[in-house]
Amino acid sequence: MTNEQIANDKSQRAPSPFVNFHLQFVIFVEMVRKQLIVMTRYPVDFVTSFVQIFFMILLFTFATIMFEPRGATEMSGSMTSRTGGVMMYGFVLFMFASDTLWTIGYNIREEQYQGTLESLYLTPASKFASLVSRVTMIVVWTGLLSVAAVVFVQLFLGRLPFQNVGLGALLLVFTLSGMFGIGFAFAAYTLLVKESAQTTANLLQFTIMIVCGMFFPFHALPDVLQSIARLVPLSYAVDAFRSTLMGYPPGFPELASIETEIVIVVAFGILMPIIGYWLYQRAERHARVTGSLAEF
Amino acid sequence: MEPIIQVRDLTKVYQSKERSGLLSSRVKNVDALKGITLDIFPGEVFGLLGPNGAGKTTLIKCLTTLLLPTRGAAWINGYQLERDENAIRASIGCMLMGDRGLYWKLTGRENLDFFGALYQIPPAPRKKQADKIIEMLNLGDIVDRTVETYSSGQKMKLAFGKALINDAPVLILDEPTNTLDLPSARELRTVVHDLNEQGRTVVYTTHQMSEAEELCDRGASIDRGEVIALGTIPELKASLNREGVTKVEGVIPATAFRAVRALDGVASAALSSKDGAQELVIVAPNPRAILPQLIHALMDNGAVLEQISPTEVTLEDVFIAKTGRTLAEDTRVK
Amino acid sequence: MRLRIMSRYPGGNLIDIAIPTFIAAMPILLGQAIGGGAAQAAANFQQNTGTTNYVAYLLIGSNIFMIVSGTMWNVGYWMRREQETGTLEALYLAPTGRGSILLGISLYGMIRTLINFMIAFALGSLVFRVNPLQGNILLALAFLLVGMVPLFGIALLYGAVILRVKEANALIQLAQWVVSFLMGLFFPIAVFPIWLRVVAMLFPPTWMNNGVRASLLGVGYFFQHWYFDLAVLGVFCVITPWFGYWLFTRIEHGIQRDAGVGEF
Repeated sequence: MTNEQIANDKSQRAPSPFVNFHLQFVIFVEMVRKQLIVMTRYPVDFVTSFVQIFFMILLFTFATIMFEPRGATEMSGSMTSRTGGVMMYGFVLFMFASDTLWTIGYNIREEQYQGTLESLYLTPASKFASLVSRVTMIVVWTGLLSVAAVVFVQLFLGRLPFQNVGLGALLLVFTLSGMFGIGFAFAAYTLLVKESAQTTANLLQFTIMIVCGMFFPFHALPDVLQSIARLVPLSYAVDAFRSTLMGYPPGFPELASIETEIVIVVAFGILMPIIGYWLYQRAERHARVTGSLAEF
Repeated sequence: MEPIIQVRDLTKVYQSKERSGLLSSRVKNVDALKGITLDIFPGEVFGLLGPNGAGKTTLIKCLTTLLLPTRGAAWINGYQLERDENAIRASIGCMLMGDRGLYWKLTGRENLDFFGALYQIPPAPRKKQADKIIEMLNLGDIVDRTVETYSSGQKMKLAFGKALINDAPVLILDEPTNTLDLPSARELRTVVHDLNEQGRTVVYTTHQMSEAEELCDRGASIDRGEVIALGTIPELKASLNREGVTKVEGVIPATAFRAVRALDGVASAALSSKDGAQELVIVAPNPRAILPQLIHALMDNGAVLEQISPTEVTLEDVFIAKTGRTLAEDTRVK
Repeated sequence: MRLRIMSRYPGGNLIDIAIPTFIAAMPILLGQAIGGGAAQAAANFQQNTGTTNYVAYLLIGSNIFMIVSGTMWNVGYWMRREQETGTLEALYLAPTGRGSILLGISLYGMIRTLINFMIAFALGSLVFRVNPLQGNILLALAFLLVGMVPLFGIALLYGAVILRVKEANALIQLAQWVVSFLMGLFFPIAVFPIWLRVVAMLFPPTWMNNGVRASLLGVGYFFQHWYFDLAVLGVFCVITPWFGYWLFTRIEHGIQRDAGVGEF
């Protein structure tokens, strides 16, 4: 048999290597479906994720109330709507950021450990689809949690400001896209450093929580931290997102004019995934040179 | 006939860091594969034979695109390694060593279905193929339970099933019977044999030579990253034809072993222990002629002999003759 | 939401020391922003809690939270790991008493978290420039030490749940937030409706937290005098470990009967 005959013979048995977009999309859907099935096999995790959100919100709401003049709010009741807006919208972004970092890293570790990462690499399925399917689940999942959190706050703790929804949604899309870029980069980092990635994820979460002013306005930060905050694109995303939804009250946005912030957020949303994926490909190549795809 | 797998001078060098002080470290090169060259033809069962750590798994990982070789080239099913990676992946069904590579939280059926989807098989034929595999491997009782509840042997079986899901022309199996009990191992070999009858090329890695003798048409002995023997199984055995093999059982001190090795007329000798007793395997061109010297050398050096017997040449003897070591030795580079 | 507050990975210890400051920093900065400055924040805070020293108040909360969370995590996480790696069964084969194994683990965890508490509290005070040595330090220490004994019991209770439910990570996550909420991490439990206050007061760390705050910052004891509050904690010292051990052995026997401790 000649090579050509073999190739012809093969084309009948093995699928075409020249995959088209439609096929890749089907695979992507299958990957998301698989993640969903796996998720339903952790029912306790599913329930606790929702329940803990309420505890977190209550925790911060009560903390807020401690700092409001007596009489401004009732003990069991609401906080002022601006404080609520700053906190809640920051909280939503924090959930996305935290989940992206944590889940992607954790996911890849788990697959390295189970050996399924190698199994994935044995197939012709796109590695990009695999990465994106992981973050897609995060968007869906965290999106649900965010909606639940916002509804909870609206119902029980007082009305949140809710303006410029279109621009707010657009900013969210670019912010999420940028966060996925960070997620890709973090996946790359996990491939390289393995277990220590989780410690880093932990530290990073707390750092961005403070530096990106997730739970408080930036002017509360000491000068040094404010200067650092201005170097991090995610800070602008947080600032622009919540200022827009709050309808630009006096003093907001805090870091730059809204036009400048939109430019930064859009650039972040476009460039970061490219950089992140480039880093992932490099890490993947490194893993294939050193044989660490399966190491654990 | 054109080979379906061609490997040319395939070399893999790992760099490992060795700590030489608190802060300083040295980079050490470990040669896992040293210029492997071999051809595998369509429709044959090809054995990759050698002890643990010989480089078999490294070779397989290079061929399946999991590892990037340092040098050399390979073609699988007409596609070139590193250039047509996805085409190569589509051409191979692979089971890696151990029972890993499955999603523990998915059932056996869901695993088969998911991996089938990754090979771009549409749902209907995917289901058909999964059902075929389930029937062929007798997985019916367990296939709807999550993998985390499986025993090690059941995971191995499912991992084997996963390798069949894309119905690829080339099947690469890395020590597939490693943790299986004897009946299951026999069953698996039968399935491999049947698949081969249906026209699939099989690359079968094992460190058990008896398994290779039973299953393989041709094979390559690999030791320390090099091919030390290559050919059909009868050819490999025949390479010792001029020579004979003598086995000595008993208590054999190291001095006696060294004395035997130093004898004129002994090509090679290897000592191993099994169930408390020791076994000395001696390969010599003319075993009868050296028998008196052999017994003298052993007795003079304090050996207690229980049995001396000429035996039929096995693949293991071929390995011993070429390397001076038994297969039980672990040659992994630490 | 994956806020793994406790970390048991390489470098985890350093992070443990930094985390209470991070946790306290959020309400501190938020509070200053709401008040429009440190002075106004302090004044508002006093109206609601009884002390102007909100920084120390929040640092005490976050540090005690770390002790509670750390003790629970140590037992729960250890148990899960052992289950997964199979060493739990090996331990069961050893003739050592279950109680002493758990006591050993918990004691180790407590000593470690107590030392972490000192360092972390000092670090937080340094960062936010408050004096950590004010009020009745010895009394605060007494509340801390007495309060740690019931934690052992809670850890056992928690260990029992972990043995039963396999998804330990999810439970640890949730437990951390419930604990922080009930013990009044950032606020006095007086803000709760009465039924919730009763639930919180059945939880020993609430008394430990308030005791330390009252002795250092003078925010007031639940029963007016320190000795009453300390006596309540004393009662918990007796009841909680006993109850925890009782429940743990019950569940453990159930599991040994049904499936074996190594199953997961």
